[in-house]
Amino acid sequence: MPKNKVINVEDAMSHVKSGMSIAVGGFIGQGDPLTLIDCLKTMDVSDLTIYENDGGYGDRGTVELVRQEKVKRIVASHVGTTPEIGNAMNEGRLEVVPTPQGTLAEMMRCGGAGLGGFLTPTGIGTIAEEGKQIVELNGRRFILVEALRVDVALIRAHSGDTWGNLVYRGTSRNFNVVAATCADYVIAEVEDLYTLGELDTNSIHTCGIFVDAVVRSNSGYCVLREEGLDD
Amino acid sequence: MTDAKAVIAARAAGELRDGQIINLGIGLPTLIANYVADDIDVVIQTENGAIGVGPRPQHGCEDRDRANAGNQPISLIPGGSYFDSATSFGMIRGGHVDSTFLGTLQVDEEGNIANWIVPGKMLAGMGGAMDLVTGAKIVHIVTEHVAKDGTSKLMKRCTFPLTGAKECDVIITERAVFRRSPDKGFVLAEVARGYTLDDIAACTEMSYTVADDLKLDAFGGEA
Repeated sequence: MPKNKVINVEDAMSHVKSGMSIAVGGFIGQGDPLTLIDCLKTMDVSDLTIYENDGGYGDRGTVELVRQEKVKRIVASHVGTTPEIGNAMNEGRLEVVPTPQGTLAEMMRCGGAGLGGFLTPTGIGTIAEEGKQIVELNGRRFILVEALRVDVALIRAHSGDTWGNLVYRGTSRNFNVVAATCADYVIAEVEDLYTLGELDTNSIHTCGIFVDAVVRSNSGYCVLREEGLDD
Repeated sequence: MTDAKAVIAARAAGELRDGQIINLGIGLPTLIANYVADDIDVVIQTENGAIGVGPRPQHGCEDRDRANAGNQPISLIPGGSYFDSATSFGMIRGGHVDSTFLGTLQVDEEGNIANWIVPGKMLAGMGGAMDLVTGAKIVHIVTEHVAKDGTSKLMKRCTFPLTGAKECDVIITERAVFRRSPDKGFVLAEVARGYTLDDIAACTEMSYTVADDLKLDAFGGEA
């Protein structure tokens, strides 16, 4: 019978050590693993490198770890929804590595799939190609991007079973799927926990093979935006 | 919302063709969905992982797991679906999205777009914009014609770091529509009500030619 991976959040998060690289799922609050981030806020760790689409939303998310100066570098596509991250960068307390969203997703996917890297047309002719190898193929130029492997991944799903089979809801699927694949130790927080055999086997988004620890989610959500962002 | 933004969104909706798959950027471009003509059916993709984006749910019916890339609550139309970020950007880079509409800080006469960073001042990040301008078949820039300081946003050369090199196909402002052709560069196709050819020349830094079939009083403004 597949192993029961359900443990308490502190035991799961004890795998996170100073200096580690961490992939975080979620998209400006949609599917952000806030229970795991809340636990990390209480831990004595520093010099973390975060790979995440963004820094969370408003004052919630990994931006809270930046505020506590636990983060050395964040590799993200967009930090406009968390002004504190821009401030920390301008004050020299944080390194931000802007990375195109599709490139970041594919870095995680390739890392999880055992590939060394991939060729993308995204960013040709921009600073995204600086310091990168350019490969010409069939008359088209591509940037060679290395796949990503990290120490730990923090993700969130709506439903999960005790082995770590996961089902996401709506747009909270996002980066959680690929972040789940590219880490040595993957911690999934789930809102609803099921015993083996209860989840529909045709509808599982992340197979338990990728997941090391399952934790009950208790952190609620970020708020949604009511009006359009200013352009 | 300023009148200029409403004029731009309404005119941009006129670019839509029945059956297209489109992606709308955050802010002004999102408003375009409000102006789609009754006889046009388009399917909206949002890069955070959904296709078939429908109207905003009624107040009280929002769902925290259903939002667009600007974190606004959404509904899905019948036939819509959700997917992960790698799949979403496979759609985008893979040429499965027909058309994208993005705002910008700067756009220039070569079709270069700069909309993600003001060096030393503002870092938003490129989000999905670099992938969208690379992968979408038609790239529309929708923007107010001049910046808040009165300078033209339609420049000879972008000065901020680029989002995409030579990727812009159409520029829509509250004053004019320009279309880029491979041999002629940008061609002024339409001028909005209330503006003359001289007005457009005075507020446009990039060079352009005027279409033989230029339309004056083409959209917007008071007749």
